[in-house]
Amino acid sequence: MAEQGGLDFAVRYPFSPSAKDAIAGIAVNDRIIILARNRIMKALMNDSSGRMLIHEADKKEDIASFAVARMILGILRNNYLTNTFAVNESKTMDRYLNREDDETAMIVSEIFGISPKPKAGGKGGEESFELDLPTYLRFCPRSPAYRLINRRLIHGMVEIKSNEWKRIVQEAARKHIERIPIVKDPPEELKEAGKKILESLPKTENTKLEAIKVEDHPPCVAKLLESLGKHENLPHQARWYLATYFLSLNTSEDDIVKIFSGAPDYSEKVTRYQVAHIKKKGYSVPSCATVLGYGLCVADCRIGSPLAWHRLGRQRKGEIKR
Amino acid sequence: MNEQERQLMAKIFAGYYAEAELDIPSIEHREFGIGNYKKIDARHLSFANVSDFRRYLTTNTPFFVSHSTSYYDFPAATPIQKKQWTGADVVFDLDIHATGKYAAYAKLDMVKADLLRLVDDFLIGDFGVDEKDLIINFSGNRGYHVHIRDPRFLPLGGDERRELVDYIMGHGLDYSKFFSDSYTTDSKKARLIGPRPVEGGYRGRFTRGVIRLLETEPKSISRLFSDPMKREFFISGIKEGNWSKTSLKFDDLVSRLKIVADGLAVQSVDTDAGVTQDLSKLIRVPNTIHGETGLIAKMLKGRGSIERFEPLRDALIETKAIADETMMILFTEDVPALVLGGETLGPFKKDERKESRLPLSIFYVLKGSASVVIR
Repeated sequence: MAEQGGLDFAVRYPFSPSAKDAIAGIAVNDRIIILARNRIMKALMNDSSGRMLIHEADKKEDIASFAVARMILGILRNNYLTNTFAVNESKTMDRYLNREDDETAMIVSEIFGISPKPKAGGKGGEESFELDLPTYLRFCPRSPAYRLINRRLIHGMVEIKSNEWKRIVQEAARKHIERIPIVKDPPEELKEAGKKILESLPKTENTKLEAIKVEDHPPCVAKLLESLGKHENLPHQARWYLATYFLSLNTSEDDIVKIFSGAPDYSEKVTRYQVAHIKKKGYSVPSCATVLGYGLCVADCRIGSPLAWHRLGRQRKGEIKR
Repeated sequence: MNEQERQLMAKIFAGYYAEAELDIPSIEHREFGIGNYKKIDARHLSFANVSDFRRYLTTNTPFFVSHSTSYYDFPAATPIQKKQWTGADVVFDLDIHATGKYAAYAKLDMVKADLLRLVDDFLIGDFGVDEKDLIINFSGNRGYHVHIRDPRFLPLGGDERRELVDYIMGHGLDYSKFFSDSYTTDSKKARLIGPRPVEGGYRGRFTRGVIRLLETEPKSISRLFSDPMKREFFISGIKEGNWSKTSLKFDDLVSRLKIVADGLAVQSVDTDAGVTQDLSKLIRVPNTIHGETGLIAKMLKGRGSIERFEPLRDALIETKAIADETMMILFTEDVPALVLGGETLGPFKKDERKESRLPLSIFYVLKGSASVVIR
């Protein structure tokens, strides 16, 4: 599907070495800065669609806009923006990656040092691969299906399906894009572009929650709240857990929706719908064993249910948190 | 312990450190911590090489010495962000908790059995770590430490290490998922498809465990299997991954196999202290002395030496300088009988006196159960 070193490849994978080559020697101009700003604004709207480009110059500008967007983020050093951008860009990349043949996908994969080997004699016709354990651990998504305990693991190789491989590459891309460059002596134009983006952000201070204090909750919940505070991307089960937990504490739906406002892919509409749905269905809080199974347990409280935290004495809580 | 006793102990330790085998790779990139009254009184220390470290141990002679599992560009820098982390060994701390000062020593064999399983089944078998990249040592008190120094594992972050611990401890293990969903149906024609003994990881170990149990104690699964014909027929199916060659109902069978699943994980990994997942932790330096016992955190080379190792016999300080020395001690509390240095000692009553070889006597003094009788 792709000429691997080609310009189209570089457009689809703007973090690749070929992308770097493609824009070598291109001067940053106003058009590229506008494109870069749009790229960040697109992320803020959860729009992960790609762009259809025909002319070579447009393609090059598009690739350059990725690099410039990262520079702007490097100047702003705003976690929310950076993580939102990384999530969105990796989703865009995933749309392309899923359409590639294995050979091209492998080229993208190897940019992140992910080199799965096709597994001989895969069952049921579905293609499977083996990935070395350290690489698997570094890039697998934090969800129960990817927990090591649920995988086939032999001699340091983890068995993965083709779609899981792509998902792991997406995760690696997200982590890669999250690491923004430090920009020394930034050009005025870029600073200006950054300022404009900040002005368009919703005032996060106003959505801050007075009602919910991190230290009032068990260590696993506290950690998730802190992650949201740092605008980290939480896996589905973690969000589900938070929603059921706070619903059980009779926290208002409005406040629960606000909890998630820090998520890099936050959409008030979707969150509100999901929280309402969980409430309507009356799902209960998962037990500690289930939380452990999700890979979200971070302490040794021995309380059986996260809600039991609120019956513990102050001293016991302190001991656990230590 | 009074000051005079402390000085006496330090002198014995210093004699050991003068000739101890202190082989610490990348010593210049590790942070050190030392302790006299606590395990760690001071940290953020660093040593340029082994001879500097040895000089420190022979002159200052702390009771506890630990180093970081992490490697840093600037190990002595503070705060920790300035150290510039470059990677960390993956370390597992295995120990046993028991009530009473001496109860754990009787159970050290259990920890050793866990250690061997951890190394053979999990680290080498499942994780694919090469034996040459494993450092295994006695902790100096109630357990063992395993350090993985395989360069591929060094960059792993805390969450990723936690995943390894969870795997080893079987957290979230649901063995019923090894079987295809059809096991809940009661139809005679349905097949229960499950793992095969040749598979890796928990699936293979579980299957081999079931076969072993069927062959040794068939009744602990079901009385049906005391009949050799029925047992062999069932086992022949398992070897093919077909678990339905029995008249037991599928869900009943699967629930009866819990007994095997429960014994698969390594239980004695100590997660409370967060040694594996907390990258800022310090751990006892292999081959240094544990100041609460006077036992050496002895490095064990090769599988055979782990099997033969008896902590209370092989981890005593045995330097030439003290080979013929004895020490008279006075017990300050009752102490149960113990096999120490190949001799059965005790039980001792409070106020009893006993003269023994030096390394045996200092064990009780350091444990806080006796005082030195100065003659």
